[in-house]
Amino acid sequence: MNDRPFFVGYLPIPGPLRLFLGAIAILLIAGFGAAGYVAGVTQDDPGSGAFRFDYGRQTVTGVVELVPYPIVHVVEGNDRIDPGDTFMMTAGGKSGVDIRAEPLSGQLAQVSGIVLERGDLYMIQLRGGTNGLQAADGAFPQPESEPLGRWRLAGEICDGKCLAGAMRPGRGLAHKACANLCLLGDVPPIFVSTQPVIGDEFLLVTGPDATRLPKRAYDFVGQYVQVEGEITRHGSLLVFALDPETLELTP
Amino acid sequence: MSVKYIPVQWNRSKWFYDAVMLAGVLLFLAIFLFAAPGLVGHERPISAQIHNARAFGACAFVMLSIILCIGPLARLDDRFLPMLYNRRHFGVMTVFVALTHVSFILNWYFTFSPNPSEIENLLRANTSYSQIGGFPFETFGIIALICLLILAATSHDFWLKFLTPPVWKRLHYLAYLAYAALVGHVVLGILQDQRNHALTVLFLGLAFLVVALHLVVWLRERAEADAKGGAWTHVSSTKDLREGFAKIALLPTGDRVAIFLHEGKVSAISNACAHQNGPLGEGRIVDCLVTCPWHGFQYDVRTGRSPAPFTERIPTYNLRLRGDLIEVHTDPNPPGTPVDPLTLPEGAA
Amino acid sequence: MTLPEFLLLLLRIWGSIGTVVVLIFLAWGIDRIDEDAQGAYVFRLLLVPGILLIWPLVLWRWWQIETERVAWFDRYRPSRRHGPAILAMSAAIVALVVIGLNARQYWPKDIVPVQLSERQ
Repeated sequence: MNDRPFFVGYLPIPGPLRLFLGAIAILLIAGFGAAGYVAGVTQDDPGSGAFRFDYGRQTVTGVVELVPYPIVHVVEGNDRIDPGDTFMMTAGGKSGVDIRAEPLSGQLAQVSGIVLERGDLYMIQLRGGTNGLQAADGAFPQPESEPLGRWRLAGEICDGKCLAGAMRPGRGLAHKACANLCLLGDVPPIFVSTQPVIGDEFLLVTGPDATRLPKRAYDFVGQYVQVEGEITRHGSLLVFALDPETLELTP
Repeated sequence: MSVKYIPVQWNRSKWFYDAVMLAGVLLFLAIFLFAAPGLVGHERPISAQIHNARAFGACAFVMLSIILCIGPLARLDDRFLPMLYNRRHFGVMTVFVALTHVSFILNWYFTFSPNPSEIENLLRANTSYSQIGGFPFETFGIIALICLLILAATSHDFWLKFLTPPVWKRLHYLAYLAYAALVGHVVLGILQDQRNHALTVLFLGLAFLVVALHLVVWLRERAEADAKGGAWTHVSSTKDLREGFAKIALLPTGDRVAIFLHEGKVSAISNACAHQNGPLGEGRIVDCLVTCPWHGFQYDVRTGRSPAPFTERIPTYNLRLRGDLIEVHTDPNPPGTPVDPLTLPEGAA
Repeated sequence: MTLPEFLLLLLRIWGSIGTVVVLIFLAWGIDRIDEDAQGAYVFRLLLVPGILLIWPLVLWRWWQIETERVAWFDRYRPSRRHGPAILAMSAAIVALVVIGLNARQYWPKDIVPVQLSERQ
């Protein structure tokens, strides 16, 4: 028969078993600590994107253009945003500013909000309602665009807001559902190129012929893809109109 | 006999058990949440909500891995049995950690949207079900969570009695589905993204430990069962049987079996009558039917069934002959299963 | 109706029926079928989530007990599906790991942008 100490939960624990269980308890606690350490210190760097509340509220005037995502060509800047710059916009949360921007297409508008910044990329999260975007008076030049031909790029399709700093990390597959939700809410999508394209790493990405990001592209958000499309320079911003038929994963 | 239910049972062993597990979990979370960010040297910290979600998610994975290791460890070495004793408290703790992970995820990735329903956003945001990379790995997490919720919610003793042990046990096989789904959730989620492979090694190491322990124990027990030739146990010598009467034997499983000799052939049925569990083995065969000494319920000894129009059924057992020893298989057949009687050699009885 | 809306509707229906079952079972049914529950009330709160989740199973068992459809014997018949359950879990884990790690991508930093045609 088995003469080993026999454990009965509601009776005192036999001596030799007590020692064994004490050792197991210490090992378990230490193991939990070690696992927490390994999982904690091996987290990847989430990138440099951030809300720049430290810059304070930015208010500039510029011309609204729909590509079809609304962008602003700065006419009257401030000490951080130069005239001639072109930037994208978002509303609070996972929403774009399309409804507010559409009536102002091709017109001068005052834009006010907080900057989201990641390296060379920045966009502005507008204040609510007309405080964020309203028609302005004054003379302004018509925005110019310059077609730069057809390209094949490798990189990742992201939602512009999380990428620019609303979330850290704001790209990649673990973040894909959130990115899709942002894009469904009309946040402008951005293509992150593996290497700079005519000097830019980040391009606003659209469907062909100034349409929204096609549904097929949503399946590729967060993955590494190769895709062909037309690049056009709008002010200081490159717009990449991808051809969804050419989307493929990189090897 | 009955004992009134109380919400949670504790005793000294359980307090100690829960304290150790809670200490482990708190240490994991404290190091991940508060010590690690200062050690990684990132230019800017990971968003607090994402960091919290990762800490609780990783912790839940480690916890479920440990829970699944306890079973096979206890079978390999009975000194681990005390870990099995209060496993359900640890399981419930795991569910709370997992729910915290879920709430951080829902209140960050699936909120702030024009559509205020976070659950709906969770289900509609990513629908790329036909691909592996970019697959909505949240689905696996939802499956695991539902399984874990069912396990935790049915962990009170009431459920064991109410559902019956076999049904309860089958329901709790959901733990295996939960763990497989959790591995899918991790492999198609964070492990697709994470550039540092230490996390991959940690997660997959735990997953393969769980798989290896289960397979080792399964193979060992199968080998042992084969060595014993299944679960046969000897119950009687052929010489001990008397025509028309039974010999009652207690099986290792705790069940009692009645072995009847009838017209020179041996059959085995459960000793307990379906009516009020009367001792059938103390009855005798009347008109070819075993008759219960208590209320006269009758059964065909070869099938365990009452004669028509009655419908009572009792389990039958399989028998075999080894020399002049009669052996019975310890697993009963479903009630009313016909079994061919064992014919004894000439002059045996 | 979209699929998410449909799933949410199912969830609501499941929860609504579950709530009714919770009320009936805990206020009335449990006393009929389990003498250990008679006079014990606090622990019933712990049963609420379980009944909400698996109310069809609760109703099925309740009906079985009321109609005495379960032989005494079924209560003690151990499940023998443990082996298949373990094998299924192991196979699923290995398959998921192999498929998942195989699909893993690396940032293709060496692929350069290529201009395919000049401006039109």
